[in-house]
Amino acid sequence: MSKEVLIVDDDPDFVETTEIILRGNGYKTRTANDGEEALKKVREKAPDIILLDIMMKTKGDGIWASEKIRAEEDLKEIPIIMITAVNQNAEMVKFHLGQELDTEYMPVNVFMEKPIETEELLKEIDKLIGAP
Amino acid sequence: MERESCEIKDFKCHKKRIQRWHNRFESDISSLIETLKDLKDSSIEAKKECSEHYARTVELTKAKTRFTFEVSHELKAPLASVYNIINVILDGYLDGDIKKQKEFLNRARVRIKNITKLLDDLLMLSHLEERTKELEKEEFNIGEVFSSLIEEMNEYAEKSNVKINWNLSENCPYIYGNSELIRRVFANIIHNAIKYSNPGGLVKITGKKENGSFLLRVKDCGVGIKKKELPKIFNIFFRGENARPNQKKEGMGLGLSLVRRIVDAHEGSINIKSQLHKGTTAEVSFPESQKKEK
Repeated sequence: MSKEVLIVDDDPDFVETTEIILRGNGYKTRTANDGEEALKKVREKAPDIILLDIMMKTKGDGIWASEKIRAEEDLKEIPIIMITAVNQNAEMVKFHLGQELDTEYMPVNVFMEKPIETEELLKEIDKLIGAP
Repeated sequence: MERESCEIKDFKCHKKRIQRWHNRFESDISSLIETLKDLKDSSIEAKKECSEHYARTVELTKAKTRFTFEVSHELKAPLASVYNIINVILDGYLDGDIKKQKEFLNRARVRIKNITKLLDDLLMLSHLEERTKELEKEEFNIGEVFSSLIEEMNEYAEKSNVKINWNLSENCPYIYGNSELIRRVFANIIHNAIKYSNPGGLVKITGKKENGSFLLRVKDCGVGIKKKELPKIFNIFFRGENARPNQKKEGMGLGLSLVRRIVDAHEGSINIKSQLHKGTTAEVSFPESQKKEK
C-alpha cells in the first residue's frame, strides 16, 4: 500500500499540480480546499502526512487546522509540512493572523516556502515518512 | 508700590493697608493659578496630541507591514502555481497528454494576466494615494463613457449567461474628472454584478441625473454579500465567502478598494446594499460640473 499525502490549499492550480507530482512519484493523494475540510478528511481517515497551506482565505487557516490536529490524541503524530507563500518567519505569521502565538511553538514539523522545488518537497516527505 | 503711611496707632489705617495688600496678593495668586491651569491644559492637550500621533503612526506602520505582507502573498501564491505548472510540464509528468499540457499552460497564462492586472492596480493605487501625480481631469459628457462600456459588458454578460437591462438617460450631465478612471469604476461595478449573478440572472442598470450628480445604479439578483462582510468590502484584498467559488474564473485586481479611491478622488460617493442569496445593489455618483448639458 502506498503512503497517502493530504494536500490542503485554497489554490486549485497548486493542489492539482502538486497532486500530479506526488502521484507521479508513487504517493496516493487526497485534497482539501480549506482548514475545515482538511480537519474533516483527517478525522475520516488519517493520512500519512499533510501538506498544509498557511494562508487560506476560505474556512480555517493553516495554523488553526494544525492546532486542531495536534490537539487530538489519534491525530497528533501525523507529520505536517506547512507551506507558506510569503516567508516562514513565525513572527510574521503571528502578526498576520493576529494571534498571540508563542514563537517557540509551531504545531508543524517543517516550513516550506512557495514556490516549492519538487526535489525538496520529495526529500522532506521522504525524511518524514519514508518512500512511498 | 504704595507710598501711603499710617500713624503708629492708627489701626484703621493699618487694617486698610493690610486689606489692600491682601486683595492684591489674592488677585496675583488667582491669575497665577489661571496661568498654571492654562499651562496644565495645554500640556494635557499636547500630551494627548502626541499620544494620538504616536498611536496613528503605530497603526499606519502596522497597516503598511500588513499591506506589504498581503501584496507579497497575493503575488507569490499565483506565481508558485505557475511555477508548479511549468515544472509539471517540463519534468515530463504530463508527457503524452498534450490536451492536459495545453489546459495547464492556459491556466498559467490566466494567472500571469491576473498578476499583471494586480500590479497595474497597485501602481494606480499608489498614484491615487500619494498624489505623486495629480489626476488629469477634464470636462466630459458622462454618456460618452458608456458607448464602449455597453458593448464590453454585454459581451461578458452573454458569456456568463446573464442578461443586462440598460436604462440610461439620454440627457447625461457633464462631469469634471478623469474619464478613463470613471469608466473603470462603472466597469468594475457592472462586472461584479455579472460575475456574482447566477446563470440566467438579470442585471438592471440605471443611469441618470439626480440631485446635481450623475447616479449609476446597478442591481443584481446574485449571490449577495453577508451582512458581517459588508463593512469590509472596500478593504484591499478582501473577498467575501460567496465570492470565492468564482476565484478561478476572473481577474483579481484590487477591485472595490480601488473603486472607492477613484470615487473619493472625484468627490463622488458609493453605496452598496446587499442581501445574502438575494442580490446586491451598488450606487455610485459623481457631481455634475457646471458646464451646459449636450
